[in-house]
Amino acid sequence: MKANTETKPSKPQPKAPMPAKSAPAVTSNGPGNQVVPLRKNPNGIPDYRAEVPNFHTVEEWADGKLRYTVTGDFDAPVPAIRESKYLNKDQSLEIYRYMLLNRKMEQALENLFKQQKVIGGVYLGLGQEGCSVASAYALDKFDWIAPMIRNQGAMLVRGFRPAETMMQYMAKVGAPTKGRDSGSHYGDIHEKNCIAPISHLGDSLPVIAGCLLGARIQGRNVAGLAYIGDGGQSTGPCYEGFNFAAVQKLGVVLIMEHNLWAYSTPVELQFACRDLADRALGYGVPGAIIDGTDPNQVYDVVHEACERGRRGEGATLIEAKMMRMKGHAMHDAALYVPKPYFEYWKKRDCMGRFEQYLMGRGWLTAKQNEELIRSVDEQINKDRDEADASPFPNGEDAAANLFKNNAETIPFKYGPPKVKKVSKDDKLGEASNVSHYK
Amino acid sequence: MAPVTYLEAIRQGLWEEMVRDPSVFLIGEDVGVYGGAFKITEGFIHHFGKERVIDTPISEAAIASAGLGAAFTGLRPVCEFQFMDFITSAHTQIVNAIAKSYWRWGAPAPMVLRGPSGAGVSGGPFHSQNPEMWYAHTPGLKVICPATPSDAKGLIKSAIRDNNPCLFFEHKYLYRRIKEEMPEGDVVVEIGKARTHRAGGHVSVITYASMVWVADEAAKLLAQEGIELEIIDLRTVSPLDEQAIEDTVKKTNRVIILHEDNKTGGIAGEIAAIINERAFDWLDAPITRITALDIPAPFSPPLEKFFLPKVEDVVREARRLVKY
Repeated sequence: MKANTETKPSKPQPKAPMPAKSAPAVTSNGPGNQVVPLRKNPNGIPDYRAEVPNFHTVEEWADGKLRYTVTGDFDAPVPAIRESKYLNKDQSLEIYRYMLLNRKMEQALENLFKQQKVIGGVYLGLGQEGCSVASAYALDKFDWIAPMIRNQGAMLVRGFRPAETMMQYMAKVGAPTKGRDSGSHYGDIHEKNCIAPISHLGDSLPVIAGCLLGARIQGRNVAGLAYIGDGGQSTGPCYEGFNFAAVQKLGVVLIMEHNLWAYSTPVELQFACRDLADRALGYGVPGAIIDGTDPNQVYDVVHEACERGRRGEGATLIEAKMMRMKGHAMHDAALYVPKPYFEYWKKRDCMGRFEQYLMGRGWLTAKQNEELIRSVDEQINKDRDEADASPFPNGEDAAANLFKNNAETIPFKYGPPKVKKVSKDDKLGEASNVSHYK
Repeated sequence: MAPVTYLEAIRQGLWEEMVRDPSVFLIGEDVGVYGGAFKITEGFIHHFGKERVIDTPISEAAIASAGLGAAFTGLRPVCEFQFMDFITSAHTQIVNAIAKSYWRWGAPAPMVLRGPSGAGVSGGPFHSQNPEMWYAHTPGLKVICPATPSDAKGLIKSAIRDNNPCLFFEHKYLYRRIKEEMPEGDVVVEIGKARTHRAGGHVSVITYASMVWVADEAAKLLAQEGIELEIIDLRTVSPLDEQAIEDTVKKTNRVIILHEDNKTGGIAGEIAAIINERAFDWLDAPITRITALDIPAPFSPPLEKFFLPKVEDVVREARRLVKY
C-alpha cells in the first residue's frame, strides 16, 4: 500500500511557491488572504500537510501473546518544512531557539532523572517541540494557554525559565508551586496566563473557555490555546469544554496532538473516525489538519485561529499529527510501539528539518547555528545548576495558604465588566409559583 | 416588611449582590429566560442581561470549570446546579481543579456552586440527595447548608464575597415552606459560625438544614413534658463551628446529632469525634446519631418517609437520654 501523497517533495524546497492548483482560494477558516491548505480530507476539513501518511497499528498474536504491528507505507520521502506565510527571519530564529531550549531542557531532565534527582517521573515531549513552541508563539500577552504534559516548550515561550520547570520536576522550593505539585502542574494567572493542568485529562478545556468568557464579560475577546492528546480527547470534560466554547463563540483554539499513542494504547483503540479534526464538524467550528512536526504549518494555522478568536468569531479545532518519540514517561521503554514508527518519524524530526529549512533560506549559517546551540547549552547548564542548588521546601509549609485571605482584593484582569446598567427602579419581583418538585 | 420564603430570600441575596458588584454573574442550565427549574433566577436575565445570566449546555463539568476560568480573570461566578445530585458530573472539577487551585498554584477561585439538595418531595434517588459530605471531606472548599430564610440570604451574600470556592446547598423542601421577615439593609452571615436555634438545658440537638425544623417540632412536643431541647444549627458543615459544639455539650451534657444525610460518613460521626476530643468528660450519656438510613433516597412517599429521620425519632431518643 502506498501513501496517498498528492505532493511529494523529495528534498527541501525552501523557496518553492505553494502549488496553486491544488489549493482553493478561500479556506473554510473564513474569508481573507489566508494560508492555503494543500487538500481537504474526505469530510472537507482543510489539510495543510505536505504528505498524508498511510499506515495503521494492527493487533497480532505471536507465540501466544498479543502485540502490535504495522501495516502501510513507511518508505514515503520526507517532506520539506512548508513556507510560513507570516513568520519573518527573526521570529523563525526565535522559534528555533525555543525548540532547542525545549529539547535540551528535557535532555537535562532525563539526565537528572537518571541521577535520581527528579522526584517521580519525567514525561518527555521529544518530537513534539515544534508543535508546542510554534503554537504558543502565536499567542499575545492577553491570551491564555492550557498546556499538557508534553508542552513544556510552550511554557518556555510564555515566559517560564528552564530552571523553573526543572525545579518543578525536582520538587524544589524554588519551583513555581514550591514543591506543592509535580512536574508540569504549574501555571500563572497574573502575567503568563497559563492554566496549571491537573492530571485528569480534558479538564483544562472548560477552564480556558471560562477564562475567555471572563475576558469577554470585561469587554475583551482574547484567544485561548488548549492542547489535548489523542487519548485525552476521549474524555467527557474535553467534549463539554469545547462544546461550551463553540456554543458561546469563545476563541478557544484546541490543538489535538495526535501522537499515535496514549500511554500504551494505539489510536486505533481510542477513536473510530479517520481524522480527529473531523470532530470539528460535530462541534460546528472550523477544523484543520496540520503536520505537528512542521513549525511553520503549526504557527500559520494557529495564528489564523487565534485571530479569529480575538475577532470574537469563535473556536477552532486543529489536529496536529506527529509521534510521541519516547514512552509515556521515563519508566516506560515503549516496547509496545512497532519499530517502523520510530524510524519513520525520526526522519521527520522537527528539529533537524527546521534547522535545514532555516539554513536553506539563508536565515541561519552553520557558524550562527553553532553559536546558538552553544548559548542554549550554557543557559541549560546554568539553569540546571540553579535548580540543583535550590533546597527542598520545609515540611511544615505544606499547611499554609489552603484558603485565600478574605481581606485581600482580587483585581479584574481586563478591567471592570461591561455590564448592563440596572436602573434603581428595577425591583426584584416575586418568583412565579412553578416548581419542579413541590 | 412582609415575611419572605427561603426561596425569595436566596433570590434577594443573589439580586442584591449582582446590583452591588459587577463582577458577580450567574451560569447554569435554564437559569436565563426560564429562570431556573425552581425559579430562583426568574427575571434576572431581563435586568442584568445575558452577559451576566448565562444559559449553558447540559454540561455540569463545563459549568463548574467555566466558573473557575472566569474566576481567574477576577470575576465572581455563581454556578447553578439544577439539582445538587448532578454535582457529581462535575466532581473532579470541584474536588481537584477548584478545591486545590489556590493551595497548588496560588490561583484563587472566588466562586459559588449552588443548587437544591435534600429529600422530602418524592424526588427519588437522583433528585433528593444530600451530597455535602463529599465536599466537606475535600480540603479547600467551604460547605454551607442554611436552614432559615435570613441565613440563606446572609450566607449566599457571604459566599459570593468569599475569596474561596463555596458550595451552597439549598434545601428544596424548605424553598416555599418556611417564611421569615428579612433584616433591614445589607446583612451578611459569617461562614463557619453556628446559631442557637432554641436554647434549652436538657438535651442538645446538633443539626443543620431542614432537620432544624424536625428538631424544632420535637422540641415543642418535649417541652410539654418538661424536656427542654437546645437546638444548634450548624449552618455550615465545613468549616465546622467546633466551639459551638463544645459549648452546648458542656451545657446540657447530652447530645443528639441529627442530619438528613445518611449515617455512614455523615457529619455526625465527625462531630462525635470532636466531642470525644474536646468534651468527653462532660458527657452524661452516649452520643446519639439520628440520620437517614444507609440506602439510596427512595421515590414512593411511604418508602421515603421510612428512610428519613422523623420527629418521633428525636422525641424517643431525647426521652431515652434524659433517663439514661
